[in-house]
Amino acid sequence: MAASVRDPEEAKATPDFPALSELLWQLADDDLLIGFRASEWLGLGVHIEEDIAFASIAQDEMGHAMTYFQLLEALGMGRADDLAQLRPVSERRNSILVEWPNGEGDYAETPHFDWAFTLVRHFLYDQFEIIRLEGLCQSRYAPLAEAAAAILGEKAYHRDHQQLWLDRLLTHGAESRARVERAVAQAAQLAGDLTDLGPWGNQVAEAGWWPGADQAGARWQQAVESFLGRYQLAPPTWSCPGNGRRGDHSPHLDAALAVLSEVYRQDPLAQW
Amino acid sequence: MDRLTFDIYEVFAQTDPLAPHQHQFSLLASSPEMALALAQENFLRRREIYSIWVVRRDAITQSGPAERARFYRRKKGYRTTEDYRYLVEKWRRYKQQPMTPETMV
Amino acid sequence: METEREDPERVEAFLQRIDRGERIEADDWMPADYRRQLIRLIAMHGVSEIMGALPEKEWVPKAPTLYRKLAIMAKVQDEIGHGQLLIRVAEDLLAPLGKTREDLLDDLFSGRLKFHNVFHMPAPTWADAGIIAWLVDGAAIITQGMSLSSSYAPYVRALQRIVEEEGFHIQHGESICMALAEGSPSQRKSLQEALERWWPALMMFFGPRETDQATSHQQANLRYRIRTKTNEELRQRFLTKYVPRIRSLGLVPPDPTLHFDAEKGEWVYQQPDWNWFRQIINNQGPRSQARLTLKHLTYEEGRWARAVLAQA
Repeated sequence: MAASVRDPEEAKATPDFPALSELLWQLADDDLLIGFRASEWLGLGVHIEEDIAFASIAQDEMGHAMTYFQLLEALGMGRADDLAQLRPVSERRNSILVEWPNGEGDYAETPHFDWAFTLVRHFLYDQFEIIRLEGLCQSRYAPLAEAAAAILGEKAYHRDHQQLWLDRLLTHGAESRARVERAVAQAAQLAGDLTDLGPWGNQVAEAGWWPGADQAGARWQQAVESFLGRYQLAPPTWSCPGNGRRGDHSPHLDAALAVLSEVYRQDPLAQW
Repeated sequence: MDRLTFDIYEVFAQTDPLAPHQHQFSLLASSPEMALALAQENFLRRREIYSIWVVRRDAITQSGPAERARFYRRKKGYRTTEDYRYLVEKWRRYKQQPMTPETMV
Repeated sequence: METEREDPERVEAFLQRIDRGERIEADDWMPADYRRQLIRLIAMHGVSEIMGALPEKEWVPKAPTLYRKLAIMAKVQDEIGHGQLLIRVAEDLLAPLGKTREDLLDDLFSGRLKFHNVFHMPAPTWADAGIIAWLVDGAAIITQGMSLSSSYAPYVRALQRIVEEEGFHIQHGESICMALAEGSPSQRKSLQEALERWWPALMMFFGPRETDQATSHQQANLRYRIRTKTNEELRQRFLTKYVPRIRSLGLVPPDPTLHFDAEKGEWVYQQPDWNWFRQIINNQGPRSQARLTLKHLTYEEGRWARAVLAQA
């Protein structure tokens, strides 16, 4: 593997730079959207104590997004907040799974949010995120490797939290089990692009930006299906109504970005 | 509709290896594992955590109001350094004028 | 509630404990009226934290920068955390009466249990989120600071945790408001408008000035040392602390009569509309029904998950 790259200018000068920036967009956009979706739950949790715990997870994800956008800023791509809030939908690289709404309805008026779907979606994302971060800890781009190690430290709580809940829901009654089964079926039709590496996929692993990227999808599928198998849930067929890694998103992303950037867009040059 | 009843867990936490477990607060949870997961973010968001205990409240035997009144005790200086303050003055004297076999007689 | 006559000597002994400055614990004998007043106050305080999260919650996903998104999430999370602490204290007081958290929340949704008047107000701009965190939390910390000397120990233990976090809340609010005050003309304008919108609610925050006929609740709370200061004392404290700061940011409170009367040693201000206040606390405020509906809807739809948690 090529020697570690620390300096952003040096990274930009490598022929593999497009693969690095593509990877960083995926990382940043994934966490931004999953963090946004989790933040919509704030104040509406199913149990008071849980509302508080899930709020920490939402903050962690948004904080991870901020870290990645700052890495992009250091690479001269623009200001972190502009990158998070002003880029058009076609440039977004998050998976469709994380942009999907928590349920019907607006978060501030009459939200009919689905807690089972929220947990299943986040669980699928955590599983992938952890595999991805484990690889990124060895990234050739040193600032990314350091960020990944710090972020990975917070992910164990997320995964354990989601699993604790799913275990409870799957083993305590037919109604909650049925809700989780429906949520798995729904999420399976959205998560097809989660493990897609995008247009520069091969270079991501070959250039050492993300060692192990080429096996990440298979490892993820195995981890998820082994978890589901513990509860006698059949492995689902993974598909997706588009491909977020290639900028082909659902209309839900437009709506999410409009909310997320509503205030900032009033005056992106102002101090907020 | 049936009323839902939850177990109450008391939460204790240690902030570093040498600190005692200190009571934090209580919460409603479904299992000890869930109580642990919730306790971390409910009561310790801004603190270093080294260890957390959760205990179902009904597993705790607690002294009650009657015991609180009985916890009164007289002052017991002999259990503390308080009764031995005179030693300072004595050591000072012995430093100036050490004991010798002659003075000991 | 206990209907049998309480032994007057026992009640007298209890009041002497209060007068000696002793703290009361959940398992101590207490007069039914003391329990009733505590439940009234602490349950109301608890659900006000839960409902109080909602106006700011509207701004959580919209907060302008990534940093502000993180900070307001943490702030609103704390408010729900305060609700958790207070509602737990109230639950332990309700337990001997055979009531639970569910009963308490049902009382909120049915209107039997009120939430604080300030959280019935609309928060239509980002500047409102700043004013809430700075001035509403600023007012709250004055009340809560007083309540630290309350006679009921579990309440005080909860408040100690709460007050510890309020320092962050106020600075979070100050930081938002200062950025807007230092910002563009339209940012400044939105801040001034938010102040004007919240001013009547802030003047109502502590409740009406006590007259000679203070309500029986107020008298009881003072007697039991559940609270130690009057509404007016708290409001004066708020004005002393915040009016100079508000003015130092170039903001103008919408009350031309507002001034400090050096002779009387107190702030003179325009009385808010107390009839409106009574409407608001009876859930007839501008956002009362919308917020109750939002909370009630999600509470009901989450019941299946709580039922799974509650199972043995």
